[in-house]
Amino acid sequence: MKKLLMLMVLGVFLLTGALLWASGDGQEQEEYDEDTYGPKDPIIWVKPVKSVVFEHKVHTMQGGLECDSCHDDLFEMEAGVAEENEDFTMKTLYEGGYCGACHDGSTAFASNTRCTACHIGARGQARLLGADGATEKTH
Amino acid sequence: MKIDDLEKMESEDVSSLSSVERRNFLKIGFAVTGMYLGGSVLSLVSVKNAHGASASGVVPELGKYPYNPHYSMVLREKLCIDCERCKDACVKTNNVPSYGFRTTILEKRHSLGEDKYETIFVPVLCNHCNRPPCVRVCPTTATWKDEKTGIVVMEPSRCIGCKTCMAACPYNARYFKEEARTVDKCDFCFQSRLSKGVMTPACVEACPADVRVFGNLADPASRVSQLVHSPETMVWVLRPETGAIPNVFYINS
Amino acid sequence: MKGNNTTTMPTSSVTVPGNKLMWLSLFLIFIGVAGAVYAQVIGHHHAFANTREMPWGMLIGVYAYFAIVSTGLCLLAAFSHAFGGNQMAPLANRMVWLSIITLLGAFTVIGLEIENVWRMPLGVILHPNVTSNIWWMGTLYGIAVGVMFLELLLILTKRYSIAIILGVVAAITEALANSNLGSVFASLQAKPFWYGSQLPIFFLSCAVLSGAAAIVMFTHFSHLLQRRQMATDTFQGLQTAGKVMVLMTFLVTLATVWKFINAYASNDEMIMAADSLFKGPLAINFWVFEIGLGLVLPGLLLAITRLKSISVMTAAAIMVLVGQFFSRFNLVVSGQIIPSDYGFVGVPQYLPYTPTVSEYLIVVAGLGVVGFGFLIGERFFDETFRTSAH
Ligand code: HEC
Ligand code: HEC
Ligand code: HEC
Repeated sequence: MKKLLMLMVLGVFLLTGALLWASGDGQEQEEYDEDTYGPKDPIIWVKPVKSVVFEHKVHTMQGGLECDSCHDDLFEMEAGVAEENEDFTMKTLYEGGYCGACHDGSTAFASNTRCTACHIGARGQARLLGADGATEKTH
Repeated sequence: MKIDDLEKMESEDVSSLSSVERRNFLKIGFAVTGMYLGGSVLSLVSVKNAHGASASGVVPELGKYPYNPHYSMVLREKLCIDCERCKDACVKTNNVPSYGFRTTILEKRHSLGEDKYETIFVPVLCNHCNRPPCVRVCPTTATWKDEKTGIVVMEPSRCIGCKTCMAACPYNARYFKEEARTVDKCDFCFQSRLSKGVMTPACVEACPADVRVFGNLADPASRVSQLVHSPETMVWVLRPETGAIPNVFYINS
Repeated sequence: MKGNNTTTMPTSSVTVPGNKLMWLSLFLIFIGVAGAVYAQVIGHHHAFANTREMPWGMLIGVYAYFAIVSTGLCLLAAFSHAFGGNQMAPLANRMVWLSIITLLGAFTVIGLEIENVWRMPLGVILHPNVTSNIWWMGTLYGIAVGVMFLELLLILTKRYSIAIILGVVAAITEALANSNLGSVFASLQAKPFWYGSQLPIFFLSCAVLSGAAAIVMFTHFSHLLQRRQMATDTFQGLQTAGKVMVLMTFLVTLATVWKFINAYASNDEMIMAADSLFKGPLAINFWVFEIGLGLVLPGLLLAITRLKSISVMTAAAIMVLVGQFFSRFNLVVSGQIIPSDYGFVGVPQYLPYTPTVSEYLIVVAGLGVVGFGFLIGERFFDETFRTSAH
């Protein structure tokens, strides 16, 4: 009857809906020996600024560097030590300290170029720590 | 045109573009719209736009700025390291709630083949457009361009919360701030700082990498003006095709 | 005024048909408003599915929906009144009333949707913005509803000649209001899938289509409710409305086809937006409801049955009205579904949007207002509705 009709109309009205679309990307890892190449996990500094990444893999396995090119002249073998130092800044890097010992434009790319190679930022850090992709996308 | 396409022009000297990028960039219909200011500024805009709003590209000519001071911001994009100090400073200075932002950093990743990416961080904020779509659509003039400074400001007590300005903004620069029952947006810290005599926005002050440069575009001696009008500098803006004529410029030098 | 009831006690509430429906519609309004109050208390950003990137959702669609139905009814009423001889004239008085109540339904929904309604009445008067389509739309619809009330008053008091003039004024006002509504979307360069000069005209076409559908449906409902045989001239009027529906389903389908062809001949953003309807998250809404149920099926049904059966016409009308509902929803969502910063890391291709319970409740409030208004009309203006007065 008409009541039914009205309810039906209502029912159909209430049916509206939209679907969600999301995408993710996979990751693969080749063999990596920590004893030969140093720790596998990237080291992330958040001081003085968020967030700089250092990967042993890039330097030892891919770059062919020995441990003693960095340890223990430039860096301690302990994550987080350097960032406690007052002079862990770009200025020091430019003057040949820390990463700047090599990242001077001759041994490796200069510290005043390609900022985002080292600086993965808050977003990059979030991605490294929390599985993948999107950091924030809310209201 | 999408931001996507704009990104392809990020490099200031064209020689550093890979050949693939260069080809892409021509394919998607951009043209070098000509030398500008005696051959000093290359402005790259879509072909269509070149004949539109500003004949000589995205940067208005010196002496043709509608306001004085004509506040604007220049973002030296490739220096941005996404440390987000600007965001934090903005949040603190302007009481931005956790669900909103007045300025944020977007991230773009170009594949360089294999596992490698090149990352570009793009700071975004209100563009304080010369022809602001948000201002045009507001039914109660709760938002307008300040007559003196060109800053797009909000009057919370007039906002009815219809959110048309949010829909109209090409830059996603507006959000509704429930606490204040109003749409909220970047005002170059007009209310929190400029009007109190502090002449830089909080984000500019907080940036450790000197990415954000703020100032009066109409003053030829100002740093923004010099950056934007300096020889060989490529200057671009986001979404020029909307005709909003933004006042936030991007460069890479 | 319920003189036509078959029962003995026309004023007795127990026997008046539609009384229960009246309570039902009041109940709908009640729960709808309750939902709106709840949403206001916990905050729209919690209660609604809208986000910064997708500030408008189903409720804007429903507002547009009711407003568009109202415009259609008002236009058809003016035509029928002004050009007396035509066959829809017997429906014209009812159309005026229905136009008023659907507009009130629209106001209800938008009033419950926007964040600070209370700032609106003074705001639009003290701080008008003549470049704002929203301002014009609101102002013109406001004027239209006033004019239509006046018109109704004149019709009720049988001062037809002035009523006709007011009807024409109302129709023009509504048409302007409606195209401003179209332009609210169509003037936003930031949203290319909305942008363009055709949308306001598309809205008007949809208005005529849904107005015709609404008058068919409500007139039939009225006869069912009053348990009354349909007069020949009324039936012929409905057939004319049916013809309008056939024509308009065809035209609106055509407009939709061209919109898509144009989008696919455009840039990435347009193509992606079109894809969201064509094969993306809105595909079911689009193909099944907007196109299938809303345009093709009713068009075919009406054409095949040659407008002979009132039940078929009503069924087609309901389909059209449901389809139009989806059409508005799809329009609102598809225009915003591509994020303006698409291409950056973490930004999805399509923004998610699924209406929340609070949003549905506010739609219910709107439907309640329309239903209640319809029943009020049946109760008090029945006599007027049956005269094709001039
Ligand atoms: C290019 C420079 C460089 C080279 C080469 C290098 N390291 Fe390191 N290593 C670092 C830095 C930088 C740190 C972090 C120091 C800090 O945070 O202060 C570090 C930290 C470490 C740590 C501590 C990690 C932790 O989680 O606490 C270990 C263990 C280590 N390195 C082992 C190695 C070994 C083994 C090699 C040789 C295979 C090697 N490193 C080669 C730069 C280097
Ligand atoms: C002992 C020299 C040396 C030191 C010290 C060093 N690097 Fe490197 N780094 C290299 C070499 C060599 C390469 C590979 C060649 C190239 O890409 O220029 C490299 C590459 C990199 C890359 C990869 C860039 C790419 O192509 O993706 C990053 C990131 C990096 N280094 C970060 C750092 C950081 C951060 C530090 C300081 C904590 C640091 N490096 C210290 C020598 C060094
Ligand atoms: C070789 C790697 C590397 C490169 C390239 C690099 N940085 Fe850094 N940067 C670091 C490290 C390491 C730190 C200290 C750790 C931290 O702050 O988290 C740092 C710190 C900083 C700081 C905060 C400290 C300070 O000096 O004020 C800023 C700002 C900064 N970098 C900006 C930049 C900019 C801009 C560029 C590009 C022109 C750049 N960096 C390129 C490694 C790098």
